[in-house]
Amino acid sequence: MITDRKSATTWQKKYDLQAPKVGDTAPDFSLCDANGRNSVRLSDYRQKMPVALIFGSFT
Amino acid sequence: MRGSVSLTDIYAKYHEQVKFIPIYIREAHPVDGWWFGGNLLTKKLMKTFAPKVAMDVHDPQTMDERRQVAGTCEASLSYGVRTYVDVMDDAVNKAYAGWPTRLYLIDTDGVVVYAAGLGPYDFHPSKLEKAIENYL
Repeated sequence: MITDRKSATTWQKKYDLQAPKVGDTAPDFSLCDANGRNSVRLSDYRQKMPVALIFGSFT
Repeated sequence: MRGSVSLTDIYAKYHEQVKFIPIYIREAHPVDGWWFGGNLLTKKLMKTFAPKVAMDVHDPQTMDERRQVAGTCEASLSYGVRTYVDVMDDAVNKAYAGWPTRLYLIDTDGVVVYAAGLGPYDFHPSKLEKAIENYL
């Protein structure tokens, strides 16, 4: 659990190493919306549209 | 949100040419985590520079709770964009090192053409907009 700046930095350094960089293939995923009824799969947009990913939370 | 361009502006301008996928991930500063609400200075800074950010949210412990908070967040921010919710093992968040916030642009071959640095310091919607302009 991230409880302070130190644990936040540790988490970010750990996972940033494996995060895709420019030129890398983006990891595919499938997620549902807040209602749990509508899903999206990143690869469904290949050869169709570019995709902007926006990660965030409420706090 | 940094700079003069907001994600809402970018969505309004490009949503017919770009698929926007906001992903709700683990809370950045929940009451039961790295909470900013308990410190008067950080509380004031957040209210000044990020007034839409919630200060009284606990980190969801179940998928239902996560969906509920994501829905409240979506309604509060009024982006008008459907928000998708990461699963409880944070698989997508970890794959993209998305916490606490991060931006990417993926081209039609599934290749990353813009990867912002770690949030929140490199969260610049204006850079995402520039990347979209360059790509289109």
